[in-house]
Amino acid sequence: MTDTLVPLLVAGPLLGALLTVAAGLLDDRAPPVVAVLTLVGQVGLAGWMGSRALLDGPLSNGVGGFVAPYGIELVVDGVSAVIVSLVALVSLGVLFYAVDDDPGGTAFYTEYLLLVAGLSGMSVTGDVFNLYVFLEISGLATYALVASAGTGRSAVAALKYLLFGTVAASLYLLGVGYALVATGTLNMADLSVKLAQVGYDSPLVLASFGFIVVGLATKAALFPLHTWQPDAYNDAPDSVSAFISALVSTVAAYALFRLLYTVYTPAFFEAVPVARDALVVFATLSIVVGSVLAVVQSEVKRMLAYSSVSQYGLVVVGLAIGTPAAVFGAVVHLVGHAVMKGGLFVAAGTVDDLTGARTVDEYAGLADRFPVLGGASALLMLAMVGVPPAVGFAGKWYIALGAVRAGTWPVAVIIFGSTLLTLAYFTLLIERMFVAPASPSVRAATDGGERGLDRPDRPSRVALTLIVVAAVAAIALGLAVTNLQVALEPTLDTLLAT
Amino acid sequence: MTGPLTALPPGVVVLAAALAAGLAGERRRLAHLLGGGTTALVTGWIWVVPEGTHLTGRLFGFDAVFFNVDPFSWIVGLVFAFIGTAAVGYSWATGAKSKQTAYALTYVGSSLGAVFAGDWLTLIVWWELMAVTSTLLVWDYGGKAVRAGFRYALLHGIGGSLLLAAIVWHYAAVGSVLFSAADGIVGTVPQILAALGIGVNVGFIGLHAWLPDTYPRPHIAASVFLCVYTTKTGVYGMYRAFPDGHLWIAYMGGAMAIFGAGAALLQNDMRRLLSYHIQSQVGYMVAGVGIGGALAQAGAFGHVFNHILYKSLLFMTAGAIVYSTGEENLKYLGGLARKMPVTAGAFTVAALSIAGFPGFNGFVSKGIVISASHYTFVKGPLVVGDFYTLELLLLVGGVGTFLSFIKFGYYAFLHGPYEGDEVTPAPRAQRIPMLVVAGLCVAYGVFDGALFGLLPFDVTDGSVVGRVYTTYTVPHIAEGLVLAAAGVVGFAALKTPLSKVGRVPDVDAGYNPLVFYGARALVHGVTETYAAVDRAAVALADRGAAARADPAPLDRFRANIGGSIFILMVVLGGVLAWLGVV
Repeated sequence: MTDTLVPLLVAGPLLGALLTVAAGLLDDRAPPVVAVLTLVGQVGLAGWMGSRALLDGPLSNGVGGFVAPYGIELVVDGVSAVIVSLVALVSLGVLFYAVDDDPGGTAFYTEYLLLVAGLSGMSVTGDVFNLYVFLEISGLATYALVASAGTGRSAVAALKYLLFGTVAASLYLLGVGYALVATGTLNMADLSVKLAQVGYDSPLVLASFGFIVVGLATKAALFPLHTWQPDAYNDAPDSVSAFISALVSTVAAYALFRLLYTVYTPAFFEAVPVARDALVVFATLSIVVGSVLAVVQSEVKRMLAYSSVSQYGLVVVGLAIGTPAAVFGAVVHLVGHAVMKGGLFVAAGTVDDLTGARTVDEYAGLADRFPVLGGASALLMLAMVGVPPAVGFAGKWYIALGAVRAGTWPVAVIIFGSTLLTLAYFTLLIERMFVAPASPSVRAATDGGERGLDRPDRPSRVALTLIVVAAVAAIALGLAVTNLQVALEPTLDTLLAT
Repeated sequence: MTGPLTALPPGVVVLAAALAAGLAGERRRLAHLLGGGTTALVTGWIWVVPEGTHLTGRLFGFDAVFFNVDPFSWIVGLVFAFIGTAAVGYSWATGAKSKQTAYALTYVGSSLGAVFAGDWLTLIVWWELMAVTSTLLVWDYGGKAVRAGFRYALLHGIGGSLLLAAIVWHYAAVGSVLFSAADGIVGTVPQILAALGIGVNVGFIGLHAWLPDTYPRPHIAASVFLCVYTTKTGVYGMYRAFPDGHLWIAYMGGAMAIFGAGAALLQNDMRRLLSYHIQSQVGYMVAGVGIGGALAQAGAFGHVFNHILYKSLLFMTAGAIVYSTGEENLKYLGGLARKMPVTAGAFTVAALSIAGFPGFNGFVSKGIVISASHYTFVKGPLVVGDFYTLELLLLVGGVGTFLSFIKFGYYAFLHGPYEGDEVTPAPRAQRIPMLVVAGLCVAYGVFDGALFGLLPFDVTDGSVVGRVYTTYTVPHIAEGLVLAAAGVVGFAALKTPLSKVGRVPDVDAGYNPLVFYGARALVHGVTETYAAVDRAAVALADRGAAARADPAPLDRFRANIGGSIFILMVVLGGVLAWLGVV
């Protein structure tokens, strides 16, 4: 019964997107309502199916009555249950902010729902070609959303992302092509068996791995393939920054996880150790360089963007190390990062609306004027640094532990070192916000006088709620991490069994 | 095994009280009654709680113990809760706001949590929380306290990370984070990391700059809280990490005893002087932990207990002076004995206790540590007559303590007439906590058996300790009196040069550039590094802004679309080559 409803996770938002267009023709105020209703339904559906998947084991459905390996299979297992629920919840939360912050037209909400459909599809698909289709759907929706700010900068950023993202997706498709040539199948579960039969050292299999990893690493924005990402995050509208920073790269990293462990399986790493080494080197480089670049940024949104480069490095390191603790840590950090970074981008957007402040220096004295906003943001930043018991600590802890257990000491050292680097750029901001005397823009925002005409004098209630909820969630998730581990244990054990 | 007494860790209860006190807002009386009442109840609770490991569970997927009662955690927890009550009473009497007391209670709660943790992971979580809550307590006062709090937070962040690294490494070696799984921290590198990480908290020389930098700045009642918890939790953690002691830690303790006392002598700010004495006194405790063995550990924990009593009392008296006169600097005080007789009396008790004068509690516990340094520790390179190296260090530290407290007492209470504004004696509400704590300082000094009853090891039983300790013997009393006499003579000799230097107006830095800059070097190092990073950021940002204004150089700094795709292809080629495909 539940299994047959799995396609609704993708079809729901798609249908919602169509309805949005229709509703927009009737009434200008209708699209946001339709979008909210669709996503509320999506949250309910994802939550219900996710809990079923976690409790009763994986759900799967062959779309259109064709069965695997010929048909299109959708699968919800423990990890995809977590990701699809995360996508639903965060997209609903950010939608409230989008409605409140810069109500776009019908097109905006349609693209938004298309993006949700693409991301949900990537989370639940069990077929590598389908994954490409959903990757392109979410990519195209993202390009349009980034450009929806309507400024020159956002247009350039969107174009850059468009060209770069399309090339990356094509590389992924090439990789899929090699795998198809080698095995004659596209179904993930089937591929894992057939790839082993072909032999992991076959050039076709190795080439497919290389193309797929580079393609997905570009989407996840690992250094040096991150160049699209700071521009896209920085120049997109605030609500779009929050959305894509929280979800787009997260789902790409999830896709990498899916490919590594469902398709190539740990046995591939056993047979081709250089593949693991390459990923580890790639990711640790990302951690260090991302943090360093974040420290030298002056614009806050750009700093947060480079911080993401570093955090995804951490996630991929966890995936590459491949011990149960490290992979679990990577999943926790993926979820935690989405919550924390989404909250921080909402905060950055709110500050911009209130004061026009965009650079670290302009943030001076913010916390005095807006104590709740400043306090909750600081909490999110500290959670990101990894102060226990927040989720940032839990994720890093498990990844570091996995690294230690696997005996990769240099990686463990880099993880601890990266904590200090993260501390460096966030203390820069916290120090400005809490200690430095107020900057002119912050003063103007609160003392009246030269305040801009359309500037509100206090943070909007919706944005503030979202930021506080994100901060609370960051801590609650950290405390609940043991339960999550118990829930995900069966899934991860299956995936990691060699 | 879970009974009503062990259903919850005490720290959580205090945190709940902190929340309630914070919500009380303007209703100050309610907030302080709630806070003080809770800590008082917790004191009684700890007094009767049965020994053992309670509340086992899992934290981040590891076996953990949230409420571990053994003789060591018991005595520290007991005095933590008790002094929390006294300090909340003092906060009420000095007009502290509910919010500040709420922050202070979160600090008390997280310290209690750390002390009653039964595994390293639980300990580090509370430990980090303690750093955060104490920073909040400092920041709450605003003004100069904010900058100092920032430096404080940064240093404790680094210390906490070092300890965390030690714990992870320890776990990799042992396979469990439980205290019961191993004898302290295992392995050379983890031990060094743990010693440095905890060393930040206990104020190892070189890592101590935060102490005199932070503690004099916040509200006077906040200082009373601060002087108790962070350093003593550190001593407790040091014992957990090194239950068998370590030679270098013992010597570091001896060096801290002298360095702290010497630096204190050169201070004129009352609370700054007292802060250096925290370092000096913690030196005795660290020495006790470092010596190892039943006698030294009993002495160290007895000294933790006593020190918390008299040091909080000293901060209360200093606070009462600040409260009544508005003056922090000893140069502008004097002749207060007549104006504030109760405060003067309480100060005398506390000063004689800290200096280790016979009949007061410091004499008892400091005596145990010194006795252990003589009988159960190596002689060391320096032997003078019947005195060994570490023992000498500790005794010289004692003379320094006498000297600086004679100086404090002389300039605050005796020297000349008071020339400032009208002074009212400390309000009665302030006197009550002071008198209670002063009474205990005397009681534990005279009835040393009561103190021995609290210690983890029975120091009067020859089968437990290598050498039975007796407080009141002729040589020991003579030793105390000689140290006191040396202090008086020394002060008489040094008074003129000290006061001559002291006449240089408002240049605290002029006293002793060596000590001053030595103490400040670390802080400056940190701020300078920070400033350098800041400068680099600004320079890079400027360059970025210039690049944005002029699109031509932009291509050099930031990959454009073509460049990005070129990089992508290079990476792809590299990965394929690495995999051996091409």
